[in-house]
Amino acid sequence: MLPNEIQWYFPTNLNEAIKLINQQGVILHAGGTRILKTQTQSIKGLVDIDALKLNYIRRKNKVFHIGAGVTFGDIVKYSRQTENLKMLEASLSKAASTPLRNRITIGGSIKDFPLWSSLYAPLIALDAKINLIDKKNYTLSIEEYVTKGIIKTKHIIKEIIVPSEEHLKWGVKRFSLIRFEYPLFNIAVSFQMNEDIVRNAKLVITGVHGRFKRFKKAENIFAGEKLSQELIEKAGKFINPKFISDYKYSANYKEKIAKVYFKDVLTEIAGRE
Amino acid sequence: MKINFNINSESKNLDVKSNETLLEVLRNNGYTEVKCGCNEGECGACLVLLDGKPVNSCQVLAMSVRNKEIKTVKGIGTLFSPHIIQKIFAKVGADQCGFCSPGMVIASYSLLKENPNPTYIEIVEGLDGNLCRCTGYVKIIEAVEESAELINKRIKAE
Repeated sequence: MLPNEIQWYFPTNLNEAIKLINQQGVILHAGGTRILKTQTQSIKGLVDIDALKLNYIRRKNKVFHIGAGVTFGDIVKYSRQTENLKMLEASLSKAASTPLRNRITIGGSIKDFPLWSSLYAPLIALDAKINLIDKKNYTLSIEEYVTKGIIKTKHIIKEIIVPSEEHLKWGVKRFSLIRFEYPLFNIAVSFQMNEDIVRNAKLVITGVHGRFKRFKKAENIFAGEKLSQELIEKAGKFINPKFISDYKYSANYKEKIAKVYFKDVLTEIAGRE
Repeated sequence: MKINFNINSESKNLDVKSNETLLEVLRNNGYTEVKCGCNEGECGACLVLLDGKPVNSCQVLAMSVRNKEIKTVKGIGTLFSPHIIQKIFAKVGADQCGFCSPGMVIASYSLLKENPNPTYIEIVEGLDGNLCRCTGYVKIIEAVEESAELINKRIKAE
Protein backbone atom coordinates (compact mmCIF):
# COMPACT_ATOMS: atom_id res chain seq x y z
CA MET A 1 0.00 0.00 0.00
CA LEU A 2 1.22 3.52 -0.71
CA PRO A 3 1.34 5.86 2.30
CA ASN A 4 -1.47 8.15 1.11
CA GLU A 5 -4.63 7.87 -0.99
CA ILE A 6 -4.00 9.15 -4.50
CA GLN A 7 -5.82 10.50 -7.51
CA TRP A 8 -5.58 8.24 -10.56
CA TYR A 9 -5.62 9.51 -14.14
CA PHE A 10 -6.01 7.38 -17.25
CA PRO A 11 -5.15 9.62 -20.24
CA THR A 12 -5.61 8.26 -23.74
CA ASN A 13 -3.11 10.55 -25.46
CA LEU A 14 0.37 11.92 -24.77
CA ASN A 15 -0.67 15.61 -24.72
CA GLU A 16 -3.22 14.94 -22.01
CA ALA A 17 -0.62 12.93 -20.07
CA ILE A 18 2.04 15.65 -20.23
CA LYS A 19 -0.44 18.26 -18.91
CA LEU A 20 -1.31 15.97 -16.02
CA ILE A 21 2.29 15.29 -14.93
CA ASN A 22 3.01 19.01 -14.81
CA GLN A 23 0.81 19.22 -11.72
CA GLN A 24 2.59 19.25 -8.35
CA GLY A 25 2.99 15.74 -6.89
CA VAL A 26 1.71 13.96 -9.99
CA ILE A 27 3.96 11.37 -11.63
CA LEU A 28 3.70 8.66 -14.29
CA HIS A 29 2.73 5.11 -13.43
CA ALA A 30 3.86 2.27 -15.71
CA GLY A 31 4.61 -1.01 -13.91
CA GLY A 32 4.58 0.64 -10.49
CA THR A 33 7.37 -1.44 -8.92
CA ARG A 34 9.61 1.55 -8.19
CA ILE A 35 6.69 3.63 -6.83
CA LEU A 36 5.84 0.87 -4.37
CA LYS A 37 9.49 0.42 -3.42
CA THR A 38 10.18 4.07 -2.64
CA GLN A 39 6.85 4.66 -0.82
CA THR A 40 7.18 8.40 -1.50
CA GLN A 41 4.90 10.49 0.76
CA SER A 42 4.63 13.37 -1.70
CA ILE A 43 2.78 11.46 -4.45
CA LYS A 44 -0.66 13.03 -4.90
CA GLY A 45 -1.56 11.62 -8.28
CA LEU A 46 -0.58 8.84 -10.67
CA VAL A 47 -0.94 9.04 -14.44
CA ASP A 48 -1.30 5.51 -15.76
CA ILE A 49 0.33 5.01 -19.18
CA ASP A 50 -1.54 1.84 -20.13
CA ALA A 51 -4.05 3.58 -22.41
CA LEU A 52 -1.23 5.45 -24.22
CA LYS A 53 -0.42 2.22 -26.09
CA LEU A 54 3.33 2.43 -25.63
CA ASN A 55 3.78 -1.33 -25.39
CA TYR A 56 5.14 -2.01 -28.88
CA ILE A 57 8.35 -3.32 -30.42
CA ARG A 58 8.69 -2.41 -34.10
CA ARG A 59 11.49 -2.85 -36.59
CA LYS A 60 11.77 -0.14 -39.24
CA ASN A 61 14.75 0.36 -41.58
CA LYS A 62 17.16 -1.72 -39.50
CA VAL A 63 16.20 0.16 -36.35
CA PHE A 64 14.16 -1.12 -33.40
CA HIS A 65 11.57 1.13 -31.82
CA ILE A 66 10.69 -0.06 -28.34
CA GLY A 67 7.77 1.67 -26.62
CA ALA A 68 8.30 2.92 -23.07
CA GLY A 69 5.55 0.64 -21.76
CA VAL A 70 7.31 -2.54 -22.91
CA THR A 71 8.36 -4.69 -19.98
CA PHE A 72 11.73 -6.36 -19.46
CA GLY A 73 9.87 -9.67 -19.85
CA ASP A 74 8.55 -8.63 -23.28
CA ILE A 75 12.05 -7.64 -24.43
CA VAL A 76 13.57 -10.92 -23.25
CA LYS A 77 10.87 -12.88 -25.07
CA TYR A 78 11.14 -10.83 -28.27
CA SER A 79 14.95 -10.75 -28.25
CA ARG A 80 15.18 -14.53 -28.09
CA GLN A 81 13.86 -14.53 -31.64
CA THR A 82 15.95 -11.61 -32.87
CA GLU A 83 19.74 -11.75 -33.05
CA ASN A 84 20.18 -7.96 -32.99
CA LEU A 85 18.69 -7.48 -29.54
CA LYS A 86 20.54 -10.42 -27.96
CA MET A 87 22.71 -8.05 -25.94
CA LEU A 88 19.62 -6.58 -24.25
CA GLU A 89 18.24 -10.06 -23.67
CA ALA A 90 21.50 -11.23 -22.09
CA SER A 91 21.44 -8.34 -19.64
CA LEU A 92 17.71 -8.06 -18.89
CA SER A 93 17.11 -11.79 -18.48
CA LYS A 94 19.35 -11.61 -15.40
CA ALA A 95 17.55 -8.61 -13.92
CA ALA A 96 15.14 -9.17 -10.99
CA SER A 97 12.90 -12.25 -11.38
CA THR A 98 10.44 -13.55 -13.98
CA PRO A 99 7.32 -12.01 -12.30
CA LEU A 100 9.05 -8.69 -11.65
CA ARG A 101 10.32 -8.55 -15.23
CA ASN A 102 6.67 -8.76 -16.28
CA ARG A 103 6.06 -5.41 -14.52
CA ILE A 104 9.31 -3.43 -14.85
CA THR A 105 9.05 -1.24 -17.93
CA ILE A 106 11.71 0.24 -20.16
CA GLY A 107 10.41 3.78 -19.65
CA GLY A 108 10.24 3.50 -15.87
CA SER A 109 13.67 1.97 -15.65
CA ILE A 110 15.23 4.66 -17.86
CA LYS A 111 13.62 7.50 -15.88
CA ASP A 112 14.71 6.07 -12.52
CA PHE A 113 18.17 4.81 -13.48
CA PRO A 114 18.85 2.91 -10.26
CA LEU A 115 22.52 2.11 -9.59
CA TRP A 116 21.81 -1.57 -10.16
CA SER A 117 20.20 -0.93 -13.58
CA SER A 118 20.78 -3.76 -16.05
CA LEU A 119 19.33 -1.65 -18.84
CA TYR A 120 21.62 1.36 -19.19
CA ALA A 121 24.97 -0.32 -19.90
CA PRO A 122 23.75 -2.34 -22.93
CA LEU A 123 21.69 0.61 -24.21
CA ILE A 124 24.73 2.91 -24.14
CA ALA A 125 26.89 0.22 -25.75
CA LEU A 126 24.26 -0.23 -28.45
CA ASP A 127 24.17 3.53 -29.15
CA ALA A 128 20.47 3.72 -28.26
CA LYS A 129 18.45 6.91 -28.43
CA ILE A 130 15.41 8.09 -26.49
CA ASN A 131 12.38 9.79 -27.95
CA LEU A 132 10.67 11.91 -25.34
CA ILE A 133 8.04 14.57 -24.98
CA ASP A 134 7.98 17.59 -22.69
CA LYS A 135 6.97 20.86 -24.38
CA LYS A 136 8.12 19.40 -27.67
CA ASN A 137 8.90 16.00 -29.10
CA TYR A 138 12.62 15.23 -29.52
CA THR A 139 15.19 12.47 -29.71
CA LEU A 140 18.57 12.36 -28.00
CA SER A 141 21.20 9.80 -27.14
CA ILE A 142 20.82 7.89 -23.90
CA GLU A 143 24.14 9.34 -22.74
CA GLU A 144 22.95 12.93 -23.32
CA TYR A 145 19.73 12.13 -21.50
CA VAL A 146 21.75 11.53 -18.33
CA THR A 147 24.69 13.93 -18.74
CA LYS A 148 22.55 16.92 -19.77
CA GLY A 149 20.25 16.41 -16.79
CA ILE A 150 17.12 15.76 -18.89
CA ILE A 151 16.54 12.70 -16.69
CA LYS A 152 15.63 15.05 -13.81
CA THR A 153 13.03 17.06 -15.76
CA LYS A 154 9.31 16.36 -16.14
CA HIS A 155 8.75 14.53 -19.41
CA ILE A 156 7.29 11.40 -20.91
CA ILE A 157 9.55 8.85 -22.56
CA LYS A 158 7.77 7.62 -25.65
CA GLU A 159 10.23 5.06 -26.96
CA ILE A 160 13.83 3.97 -27.19
CA ILE A 161 15.45 3.56 -30.56
CA VAL A 162 18.05 0.82 -30.92
CA PRO A 163 20.07 0.55 -34.13
CA SER A 164 20.43 -2.93 -35.49
CA GLU A 165 24.15 -3.40 -36.15
CA GLU A 166 24.88 -6.41 -38.32
CA HIS A 167 28.57 -6.75 -37.55
CA LEU A 168 28.53 -6.45 -33.79
CA LYS A 169 30.59 -8.31 -31.24
CA TRP A 170 29.41 -7.81 -27.71
CA GLY A 171 29.49 -9.00 -24.11
CA VAL A 172 27.76 -8.18 -20.83
CA LYS A 173 28.54 -9.09 -17.23
CA ARG A 174 27.15 -8.16 -13.83
CA PHE A 175 28.57 -8.45 -10.35
CA SER A 176 26.31 -9.91 -7.68
CA LEU A 177 27.07 -12.58 -5.13
CA ILE A 178 23.75 -14.37 -5.58
CA ARG A 179 21.38 -14.49 -8.51
CA PHE A 180 18.60 -12.38 -6.98
CA GLU A 181 20.83 -9.69 -5.46
CA TYR A 182 20.92 -6.21 -6.93
CA PRO A 183 24.13 -6.14 -8.98
CA LEU A 184 26.89 -3.83 -7.76
CA PHE A 185 27.71 -2.93 -11.32
CA ASN A 186 26.87 -3.90 -14.89
CA ILE A 187 29.37 -4.01 -17.73
CA ALA A 188 28.60 -3.88 -21.44
CA VAL A 189 31.11 -3.96 -24.29
CA SER A 190 30.34 -3.62 -27.98
CA PHE A 191 32.58 -3.68 -31.04
CA GLN A 192 31.26 -2.64 -34.43
CA MET A 193 33.36 -4.66 -36.83
CA ASN A 194 34.61 -4.34 -40.41
CA GLU A 195 35.36 -7.99 -40.99
CA ASP A 196 37.94 -8.65 -38.24
CA ILE A 197 38.88 -4.98 -37.69
CA VAL A 198 37.20 -2.94 -34.95
CA ARG A 199 35.43 0.09 -36.42
CA ASN A 200 34.02 1.43 -33.20
CA ALA A 201 34.27 0.26 -29.59
CA LYS A 202 32.17 1.01 -26.55
CA LEU A 203 33.17 0.00 -23.02
CA VAL A 204 30.50 0.93 -20.49
CA ILE A 205 29.95 0.39 -16.79
CA THR A 206 27.00 1.44 -14.60
CA GLY A 207 26.77 1.45 -10.82
CA VAL A 208 29.81 3.74 -10.53
CA HIS A 209 30.22 7.24 -9.12
CA GLY A 210 28.35 9.47 -11.61
CA ARG A 211 26.03 6.56 -12.52
CA PHE A 212 27.81 5.43 -15.68
CA LYS A 213 31.23 5.65 -17.27
CA ARG A 214 32.60 5.08 -20.74
CA PHE A 215 36.31 4.47 -21.08
CA LYS A 216 37.03 6.42 -24.24
CA LYS A 217 40.83 6.10 -24.08
CA ALA A 218 40.47 2.34 -23.85
CA GLU A 219 37.90 2.38 -26.67
CA ASN A 220 40.31 4.29 -28.92
CA ILE A 221 42.97 1.64 -28.45
CA PHE A 222 40.76 -0.89 -30.23
CA ALA A 223 39.64 1.36 -33.10
CA GLY A 224 41.10 0.26 -36.44
CA GLU A 225 42.79 -2.78 -34.91
CA LYS A 226 42.28 -6.53 -34.71
CA LEU A 227 41.14 -7.73 -31.29
CA SER A 228 44.07 -9.26 -29.43
CA GLN A 229 45.19 -10.07 -25.90
CA GLU A 230 47.91 -7.46 -26.23
CA LEU A 231 45.33 -4.72 -26.95
CA ILE A 232 43.16 -5.92 -24.08
CA GLU A 233 46.11 -5.60 -21.68
CA LYS A 234 46.90 -2.14 -23.07
CA ALA A 235 43.26 -0.98 -22.80
CA GLY A 236 43.04 -2.33 -19.25
CA LYS A 237 45.35 0.45 -18.06
CA PHE A 238 42.67 2.99 -18.99
CA ILE A 239 39.80 1.16 -17.30
CA ASN A 240 39.64 2.78 -13.88
CA PRO A 241 36.03 3.00 -12.68
CA LYS A 242 35.43 5.10 -9.57
CA PHE A 243 33.05 3.67 -6.98
CA ILE A 244 31.71 4.75 -3.62
CA SER A 245 32.48 2.51 -0.63
CA ASP A 246 29.50 0.92 1.10
CA TYR A 247 28.95 -1.32 4.13
CA LYS A 248 29.82 -4.43 2.10
CA TYR A 249 32.61 -3.43 -0.26
CA SER A 250 35.27 -0.75 -0.40
CA ALA A 251 35.52 1.42 -3.53
CA ASN A 252 38.98 -0.02 -4.12
CA TYR A 253 37.69 -3.61 -4.02
CA LYS A 254 34.88 -2.82 -6.46
CA GLU A 255 37.32 -1.15 -8.85
CA LYS A 256 39.60 -4.20 -8.83
CA ILE A 257 36.67 -6.58 -9.45
CA ALA A 258 35.36 -4.38 -12.27
CA LYS A 259 38.76 -4.38 -13.99
CA VAL A 260 38.87 -8.19 -13.83
CA TYR A 261 35.31 -8.39 -15.19
CA PHE A 262 36.16 -6.11 -18.11
CA LYS A 263 39.19 -8.26 -18.90
CA ASP A 264 37.01 -11.39 -18.79
CA VAL A 265 34.40 -9.91 -21.14
CA LEU A 266 37.00 -8.56 -23.59
CA THR A 267 38.93 -11.84 -23.62
CA GLU A 268 35.74 -13.80 -24.20
CA ILE A 269 34.74 -11.53 -27.12
CA ALA A 270 38.23 -11.69 -28.65
CA GLY A 271 38.20 -15.49 -28.47
CA ARG A 272 34.87 -15.70 -30.32
CA GLU A 273 34.79 -16.51 -34.02
CA MET B 1 -14.85 3.08 -3.82
CA LYS B 2 -16.26 0.15 -5.81
CA ILE B 3 -14.26 -0.92 -8.84
CA ASN B 4 -14.92 -3.70 -11.31
CA PHE B 5 -12.31 -6.43 -11.66
CA ASN B 6 -12.18 -9.55 -13.79
CA ILE B 7 -10.99 -12.34 -11.47
CA ASN B 8 -10.93 -16.03 -12.40
CA SER B 9 -13.19 -15.28 -15.38
CA GLU B 10 -15.84 -13.61 -13.21
CA SER B 11 -16.68 -9.94 -13.12
CA LYS B 12 -16.46 -8.68 -9.52
CA ASN B 13 -17.28 -5.31 -8.01
CA LEU B 14 -14.78 -4.88 -5.18
CA ASP B 15 -14.05 -2.32 -2.48
CA VAL B 16 -10.75 -0.65 -3.31
CA LYS B 17 -8.66 2.18 -1.86
CA SER B 18 -6.71 4.16 -4.44
CA ASN B 19 -3.37 3.34 -2.76
CA GLU B 20 -3.92 -0.40 -2.25
CA THR B 21 -1.98 -3.15 -3.95
CA LEU B 22 -3.68 -5.92 -5.87
CA LEU B 23 -2.62 -8.34 -3.12
CA GLU B 24 -4.43 -6.28 -0.48
CA VAL B 25 -7.58 -5.98 -2.57
CA LEU B 26 -7.64 -9.70 -3.34
CA ARG B 27 -7.11 -10.82 0.25
CA ASN B 28 -9.55 -8.24 1.67
CA ASN B 29 -12.19 -9.60 -0.67
CA GLY B 30 -11.83 -13.27 0.15
CA TYR B 31 -9.16 -14.41 -2.30
CA THR B 32 -6.99 -15.71 0.55
CA GLU B 33 -5.37 -18.31 -1.70
CA VAL B 34 -3.09 -15.41 -2.70
CA LYS B 35 -0.54 -15.36 0.13
CA CYS B 36 1.31 -12.42 1.62
CA GLY B 37 4.94 -13.37 2.20
CA CYS B 38 7.61 -10.68 1.94
CA ASN B 39 5.36 -7.93 0.49
CA GLU B 40 8.44 -6.77 -1.47
CA GLY B 41 8.21 -8.78 -4.66
CA GLU B 42 10.89 -11.26 -3.72
CA CYS B 43 9.18 -14.42 -2.44
CA GLY B 44 6.46 -15.03 -5.04
CA ALA B 45 3.82 -16.23 -2.53
CA CYS B 46 1.44 -13.58 -3.90
CA LEU B 47 1.82 -14.57 -7.55
CA VAL B 48 -1.21 -14.19 -9.81
CA LEU B 49 -1.57 -14.23 -13.58
CA LEU B 50 -2.23 -10.82 -15.06
CA ASP B 51 -3.36 -11.13 -18.65
CA GLY B 52 -1.72 -14.54 -18.59
CA LYS B 53 1.65 -13.44 -17.20
CA PRO B 54 2.83 -14.13 -13.65
CA VAL B 55 3.27 -10.99 -11.51
CA ASN B 56 3.81 -10.30 -7.82
CA SER B 57 0.42 -8.92 -6.75
CA CYS B 58 2.15 -7.09 -3.88
CA GLN B 59 4.01 -5.03 -6.50
CA VAL B 60 0.94 -4.07 -8.51
CA LEU B 61 -1.30 -1.14 -7.61
CA ALA B 62 -4.86 -2.44 -7.87
CA MET B 63 -6.26 0.58 -9.69
CA SER B 64 -3.86 0.03 -12.57
CA VAL B 65 -5.30 -3.40 -13.44
CA ARG B 66 -9.04 -2.70 -13.39
CA ASN B 67 -9.61 -3.91 -16.90
CA LYS B 68 -7.20 -6.81 -16.95
CA GLU B 69 -7.73 -10.54 -16.60
CA ILE B 70 -6.60 -11.67 -13.14
CA LYS B 71 -6.19 -15.33 -12.33
CA THR B 72 -5.40 -16.71 -8.87
CA VAL B 73 -4.43 -20.32 -8.20
CA LYS B 74 -8.14 -21.15 -7.73
CA GLY B 75 -8.69 -20.02 -11.31
CA ILE B 76 -6.34 -22.79 -12.42
CA GLY B 77 -7.86 -25.57 -10.34
CA THR B 78 -9.76 -26.04 -7.08
CA LEU B 79 -9.76 -28.58 -4.27
CA PHE B 80 -12.50 -30.59 -5.98
CA SER B 81 -11.26 -30.06 -9.48
CA PRO B 82 -7.47 -29.69 -9.25
CA HIS B 83 -5.25 -28.90 -12.20
CA ILE B 84 -2.74 -31.58 -13.14
CA ILE B 85 0.10 -29.45 -11.68
CA GLN B 86 -1.71 -29.23 -8.34
CA LYS B 87 -2.32 -33.00 -8.35
CA ILE B 88 1.35 -33.71 -9.00
CA PHE B 89 2.51 -31.21 -6.37
CA ALA B 90 0.43 -33.14 -3.81
CA LYS B 91 1.50 -36.54 -5.15
CA VAL B 92 5.25 -35.96 -5.01
CA GLY B 93 5.14 -33.99 -1.75
CA ALA B 94 6.13 -30.69 -3.35
CA ASP B 95 3.52 -28.81 -1.34
CA GLN B 96 5.44 -29.25 1.96
CA CYS B 97 4.15 -26.56 4.38
CA GLY B 98 1.97 -25.23 1.57
CA PHE B 99 2.58 -21.51 1.97
CA CYS B 100 4.56 -21.01 -1.22
CA SER B 101 2.50 -23.55 -3.19
CA PRO B 102 -0.07 -21.17 -4.75
CA GLY B 103 2.76 -19.05 -6.15
CA MET B 104 4.78 -22.09 -7.19
CA VAL B 105 1.77 -23.54 -9.02
CA ILE B 106 1.08 -20.25 -10.80
CA ALA B 107 4.75 -19.96 -11.87
CA SER B 108 4.81 -23.60 -13.03
CA TYR B 109 1.52 -23.20 -14.91
CA SER B 110 2.83 -20.12 -16.70
CA LEU B 111 6.15 -21.79 -17.50
CA LEU B 112 4.54 -24.94 -18.94
CA LYS B 113 2.08 -22.92 -21.00
CA GLU B 114 4.95 -21.09 -22.63
CA ASN B 115 7.41 -23.96 -22.72
CA PRO B 116 5.82 -27.43 -22.46
CA ASN B 117 9.22 -29.17 -22.47
CA PRO B 118 11.42 -27.20 -20.11
CA THR B 119 14.90 -28.36 -19.22
CA TYR B 120 16.01 -28.47 -15.58
CA ILE B 121 17.68 -25.05 -15.98
CA GLU B 122 14.58 -23.60 -17.63
CA ILE B 123 12.46 -24.81 -14.69
CA VAL B 124 14.86 -23.24 -12.20
CA GLU B 125 14.79 -19.99 -14.19
CA GLY B 126 10.99 -20.14 -14.53
CA LEU B 127 10.67 -20.40 -10.76
CA ASP B 128 13.31 -17.73 -10.08
CA GLY B 129 10.74 -15.45 -8.45
CA ASN B 130 9.51 -18.04 -5.93
CA LEU B 131 11.11 -18.83 -2.59
CA CYS B 132 10.35 -21.93 -0.52
CA ARG B 133 11.21 -21.42 3.15
CA CYS B 134 11.07 -25.20 3.67
CA THR B 135 14.04 -25.15 1.26
CA GLY B 136 12.62 -28.13 -0.57
CA TYR B 137 13.17 -27.20 -4.18
CA VAL B 138 14.02 -30.77 -5.20
CA LYS B 139 10.41 -31.96 -4.91
CA ILE B 140 9.06 -28.80 -6.54
CA ILE B 141 11.29 -29.19 -9.58
CA GLU B 142 10.41 -32.88 -9.72
CA ALA B 143 6.71 -31.91 -9.70
CA VAL B 144 7.17 -29.51 -12.62
CA GLU B 145 9.10 -32.14 -14.59
CA GLU B 146 6.42 -34.76 -13.93
CA SER B 147 3.61 -32.33 -14.76
CA ALA B 148 5.28 -31.45 -18.05
CA GLU B 149 5.60 -35.13 -18.89
CA LEU B 150 1.93 -35.82 -18.12
CA ILE B 151 0.66 -32.74 -19.95
CA ASN B 152 2.67 -33.69 -23.03
CA LYS B 153 1.36 -37.28 -22.90
CA ARG B 154 -2.19 -35.93 -22.80
CA ILE B 155 -1.56 -33.57 -25.69
CA LYS B 156 -0.15 -36.46 -27.76
CA ALA B 157 -3.09 -38.71 -26.84
CA GLU B 158 -5.55 -36.04 -27.97
